[in-house]
Amino acid sequence: MAGNIYIGEIIANDEIQEDCFLMKVRTSPLFENPLPGQFVMVRIAGLNDPFLSRPISVYAFTRETNHCTLELLYRVVGKGTQVMAGLIEGSYLEINGPLGNGFDTANVNEHIVLISGGIGIAPLSMLMESLRQTARHASAVTMMYTGFQNKDAVVGLDKVRGICRDVSVCTDDGTLGNKGFVTQHFQKDLKKFIPEKTSFYACGPREMLKALATILHKSKFDCQVSLEERMACGTGACMGCAVAIKDQAGAMTYKRVCADGPVFHLSDIIWDEM
Amino acid sequence: MTNKNTTPSPKIAVSLGRLKLNNPVMTASGTFGYGEEYAGYVDLNKLGAIVVKGLSFKPRLGNPPPRIMETTGGMLNAVGLQNIGVDAFIEEKMPFLRQYDTKVIANIYGETYDDYKKVARKLSSVKGVHALEVNISCPNVKNGGLSFGSDPKIAARVTRAVREETSLPVIVKLTPNVTDIATIAEAVEKAGADAVSLINTLTGMSVDLKTRKPHLKNITGGLSGPAIKPVALRMVWQVVQRVSIPVIGIGGIMTAEDALEFLVLGAKAVQIGTANFVNPLVTMEVIEGMKNYLAENKIKDINNIIGTFQP
Repeated sequence: MAGNIYIGEIIANDEIQEDCFLMKVRTSPLFENPLPGQFVMVRIAGLNDPFLSRPISVYAFTRETNHCTLELLYRVVGKGTQVMAGLIEGSYLEINGPLGNGFDTANVNEHIVLISGGIGIAPLSMLMESLRQTARHASAVTMMYTGFQNKDAVVGLDKVRGICRDVSVCTDDGTLGNKGFVTQHFQKDLKKFIPEKTSFYACGPREMLKALATILHKSKFDCQVSLEERMACGTGACMGCAVAIKDQAGAMTYKRVCADGPVFHLSDIIWDEM
Repeated sequence: MTNKNTTPSPKIAVSLGRLKLNNPVMTASGTFGYGEEYAGYVDLNKLGAIVVKGLSFKPRLGNPPPRIMETTGGMLNAVGLQNIGVDAFIEEKMPFLRQYDTKVIANIYGETYDDYKKVARKLSSVKGVHALEVNISCPNVKNGGLSFGSDPKIAARVTRAVREETSLPVIVKLTPNVTDIATIAEAVEKAGADAVSLINTLTGMSVDLKTRKPHLKNITGGLSGPAIKPVALRMVWQVVQRVSIPVIGIGGIMTAEDALEFLVLGAKAVQIGTANFVNPLVTMEVIEGMKNYLAENKIKDINNIIGTFQP
C-alpha cells in the first residue's frame, strides 16, 4: 500500500441539512482515485483534542489538471465532526487516503439494488455514479431504497435521483415518502428480485444492516455492506475497529473494518458478537 | 559564503548495551503492526528499530468490540492482544521485515511462565530478530489474573524464564500500574534483563452517560497518547536513578521535543506509539526534529544530551 498524507484546503463546508454538512476539499493531483466505498482519515494538524483522526467515506471525487477535489458528506455526531463542521473555507486539513477496500464492482449483475439508511447514502451515491459511468453497467436496472429519520434528515436525494430513475424514499415518521424503515419497504419488494441476477449493496446504521441480514438470511442474495466503526489509525495497525466475521471454515475471527473492509459480505458478519 | 553545508550532521546512533541502533527512535509494540501497515508511509530503513505487535504462542482472537475510545489528549484501548501467533509471525511477517536494514524487536506475551519460554525459544533462532521485548503487563493466569509486572518477584521470575531461553538482548516492558515502578525495574535488572522499556498504558475507563455503560466492552482499557507523557517522564526519572541497564522511554511522544525530554532524563532511546495512529509520518518527523535540535544547539552527538537533566 502506497500510503500518503495530503494537505487539503477546504473550499466549501456547507450545512445542507440540520447537522449535516457537505465539505469540499481541494487536494494534491497525486491523490489516488478513490473507489466507491473507500474512506479518508481527516485530521486537523497538531490538534490534540479531539485527538484521533476521523474516518469519513468519500462522497464524490473529481480530478482536474492541477488538483483533485474530494467531497465528504458527514453528519455531526460527536466532538470530531463538530470541529469539522466549524471549519471555514480556506482552512487546511490533513487527509490520509484513500483507505480500505471499496465495493467489489468486478462482478455486477444486470439488476442493481442499493439500500441506504441516513448518511449511508454517501458511499452508495458514489457507487451508483461510478457504475453508471461503466459501459458494462450503464444499462443495468437499478433500484435504490433510501431511508431517513424524518424529512429534515434527508440528504443527498437530489443527486441519486439524477442518476437513478427508481429511488424509493421512506422516513421513520412518514414526513416524507413512505412511512417506516427502509428495510421494511425493501422486504415488500424482495420477490421482484432474482438472486442470481441481482447485486445488492447497502450502507446505514447498524440496526438497519442487522435487520437487512435477517431479511436476506434465508435467501441466496449476496449483499455487500459498508460498515462504520470507531477507528484510531485507519491503516490496519491499531486493531481497534474490530468486526466479528465468519471465516472460510465458519469460525469466528475479528477483522479490521479499516483494512479488511469497510466493505464486507453481509452474510459473513456475526451480529451477536458486536 | 557559509560553512553550513560543511558542518557534519549530528551523530544520532545509540547503544542499548549490545543492541546498536542507528537512531534512538523505535516504534512501540501494538502501534505499528508488523511494519507492513506503515511501509507505504515511512522508510522503515530509517527507523532505529521496529517493535512488532505482541506475539503469543498461539494466535489470539482479541477482545470483542468496542475496543477503543478517544479521551482528552489520548485514547483507551482494550484490543486484548489480538495477534497471529509466533509461528505465523515467523513464516508470514519476518520475510517482509528482513528486507529492511532496521532492527526488529519481537514483543512477546504469555499467560504462564511456560508460554513466555516457548515464544522466546521460537524467536531466538529466527534470522532478523535482534531482540526480545517482554510484555509483563498482561494478566498472569496462574496467579489469579494479577499482572506479571505488578510484583517484583513474579516480574523477576518471568525475566529469568525468558533469559534462560535466549541469547538475544532481553528488554522488559514495565507497567505503570504499580506503586513503585523502580522496584520492579531493579528486580528485572537483577534477573538478567538487558534493558527496560517504560511505560506501558495506564489502566483507565470511560462512561457513556446516555446508556450508563462503559464505552469499552472490556470496561477498562489502556490509556495512551500525549495525556500520559508527564506520568511517563516521572517514571523514567524514577527508574534511571535506580538501575544501570539502559532505559527506553515510552509515553505520549508526539514531537522531537517530547522525545528529547526522555533522553535528557536519561533514557537511551524512545518508542513512539499512539502518535503513529494520528500521524503515520511521526517517526520520520521526530528523527529529523532531533537532528535539527542538535544542529541548532551545536551538539555533535545525541549521546551528549542523554542523562543531562539538571534537577
